[in-house]
Amino acid sequence: MWSRLFGRQTWEEAAFLLSAAPLGTLWFSILVTAWSLGLGLLVTPLVIPIAFGMPFLITASAGAEAALARRLLGARVYPPHAPRMRASFWRRAFGWLTDPAMWRAQAYLLLRFALGFPFAIGMATLLGLSIGGIAAPLYYWSLNRGIRLDAWHVDTLPEALLLTLAGAAGLAITMLLFRLLARPQRSLAESLLERSAEPADTAPRPTVAERRRLLAVRTAGFGFAFVVLVAIWALTSHGYFWPVWPLLAFLLTLGLQSWRLFVDENPEHWRRPGLNHSIAGQAGASAVVFLFLVGVWAASGAGTFWPVWPLLGLTITVLARAGTLYFSPPGQEELTQRIDVLTNTRAGAVDQQEAELRRIERDLHDGAQARLVALGMTIGMAEQKMKDDPEGARELLEEARAGTGQALKELRDLARGIHPPVLADRGLEAAVIALADGSPLRVVVHAEVPQRPAAPVESAAYFVVAEALANAGKHSQARRVDIRMVRDGDVLTVEVADDGVGGADLNGGGLSGLRRRVEALDGTLRVASPAGGPTLIRAEMPCG
Amino acid sequence: MRVVIAEDLALLRDGLQRLLRDNGFDVVASVRDGEALLREIEAHKPDIAVVDIRLPPDFRDEGLRAAIEARKQSPDTAILVVSQYVEQAYARELLADGRGGVGYLLKDRILHVVEFVEAVRRVAEGGTALDPEVVAHMFSSQTAGGPLERLTPREQEVLALMAEGRSNQGIADALVLTVGAVEKHIASIFSKLDLPQSGIDHRRVLAVLAYLQGQAPS
Repeated sequence: MWSRLFGRQTWEEAAFLLSAAPLGTLWFSILVTAWSLGLGLLVTPLVIPIAFGMPFLITASAGAEAALARRLLGARVYPPHAPRMRASFWRRAFGWLTDPAMWRAQAYLLLRFALGFPFAIGMATLLGLSIGGIAAPLYYWSLNRGIRLDAWHVDTLPEALLLTLAGAAGLAITMLLFRLLARPQRSLAESLLERSAEPADTAPRPTVAERRRLLAVRTAGFGFAFVVLVAIWALTSHGYFWPVWPLLAFLLTLGLQSWRLFVDENPEHWRRPGLNHSIAGQAGASAVVFLFLVGVWAASGAGTFWPVWPLLGLTITVLARAGTLYFSPPGQEELTQRIDVLTNTRAGAVDQQEAELRRIERDLHDGAQARLVALGMTIGMAEQKMKDDPEGARELLEEARAGTGQALKELRDLARGIHPPVLADRGLEAAVIALADGSPLRVVVHAEVPQRPAAPVESAAYFVVAEALANAGKHSQARRVDIRMVRDGDVLTVEVADDGVGGADLNGGGLSGLRRRVEALDGTLRVASPAGGPTLIRAEMPCG
Repeated sequence: MRVVIAEDLALLRDGLQRLLRDNGFDVVASVRDGEALLREIEAHKPDIAVVDIRLPPDFRDEGLRAAIEARKQSPDTAILVVSQYVEQAYARELLADGRGGVGYLLKDRILHVVEFVEAVRRVAEGGTALDPEVVAHMFSSQTAGGPLERLTPREQEVLALMAEGRSNQGIADALVLTVGAVEKHIASIFSKLDLPQSGIDHRRVLAVLAYLQGQAPS
């Protein structure tokens, strides 16, 4: 009792609750500032850098909160992640607005302020009062003066000791409250902090060539739009040259996209001390943003050269990152991220393994094992009857044989569910074709897997297809399923697309187990299945 | 009838040996891996080899590979593959050369001693024995609305038993019909599926199997 109330866990929970006061305030001011800036500048091009920055702010704050909740409350939470670098420009700027995980994370940050702050203050007061009470005799003794508590004047030692008792009781109650409040906090964090689902990301990733083409098209489009605007300006007023504003916005967009494309096209340029792919991207983007601001400054009358301040900020950020990278041991940043990912996925894999073993144990216990017991009994009875009732004994033996067949069948199904023999014997393609053969749907298999991936990858890919096919057959009313399996270098991509009514849920039963299995192999499993269909399930796994 | 057995588990090997000896077969050799199987077939030229799919050293499909190799080396030796599981792909590989004298059964079927012995004998004589699970699989992978749906339920039953490799007599026994009635059903099936008629049981079965596999998507 004592250790549970005053143990390490309680203090951690108390620290979490109390942290709401400073952190909640911080999140509140960050969010309010960012949103009011963004909304205030909504009609100007400046909204774009703000929109870019927002998801990173939110993810960083939610990430810090998630780390805190994991560490102090033992909650199973994951922060949403900022839009992927490979997503398109507009998706990165505004895509996060459609990500429910982002909104939940913001709600959580605000609740940390709105609920957490008053609770933190209240609990801190309680804690302070209790400790003050306990320390009363010390106070009394050191100052040799009474303590005035409203109507009660504590001016004798026994009275001060009484106050100590009251303080101790208060402390116990406070700690109990901390413990009681931890549970709702944990469930709040667990229900609001979650990974982004990113269904849109299952769309095929544009290749560099496609992006170059897209950029050319966009440049031409912007050029044309600009010419039209200049023509309108020339025809109407000749006054103030307002088309400069849309031009600046166009140039910002194109500049950022071209730089990103340039960075992605030459990945080997950016592997130097103090430089990596992401810093190069940031440095170029900062330069483009700075030029854009210079443009804004020039177009708005070239007064005081204020863009020097953002330049300072941008330069410091880039230099700080580059410096950290330069002086930190190689790969420190990546290692830290990697450890984080591994910790999460390992926990998932262990859970999944455990569940699988439990299922197998139950199947064996309820199936084959029970059948063998029944079999033994039947044969025993047959043995008894052998002499007096040979006909009855024969019937029992017949029954025993049927039972053996059934037990064999159950064991076979179980073995197939663990690792289908044809997969081990003939590889992924043959095994998936066997699956396709067994499906009542029309299944088209396209496989380009010249080299066999490692066995765990192969088997995870197989079960992804098996589960997706089973779902398509059961729930989706699909008529046709397309299975694509491609090994490109060291990455195996498996896609299962059906033309059904959609509604598959990545967090539901089979798929969530598979996701953990795939993530444990450093891969990703994504599901795009809007209501009304179609469904696309894609797994990507490294198989080097 | 002379038999070679390839099975790596001693318990099953001895059981199979005893079962076949009790039923009048002459078991000339029992081996535990694929290489030894090929050697013994070469040496004894048996009528049939009963082979487990999973054999040392890797416990994958060594038995199947050895069986297919044996068919090339000694075309006169029939092969009956037995396994704990059946795979459509393996059935296809075994039947690929379009000749008879081949069988593929679940080990479960050994429990029905009479039927199993009958199957061994049939395969040794150049017939076929396909596991009902394989046949069911062939049926289920037929495209909906295909010609099979024109068959009456009884005709479908007859077709399934025929695909398993049973003789007219065997089908008649299983369905409690007269041999004449079975023959009538078979004639009707062949005309509905537009298959060439043949007087010889084995060849007829191969035509049916080729037909069923041709329809399977792959």
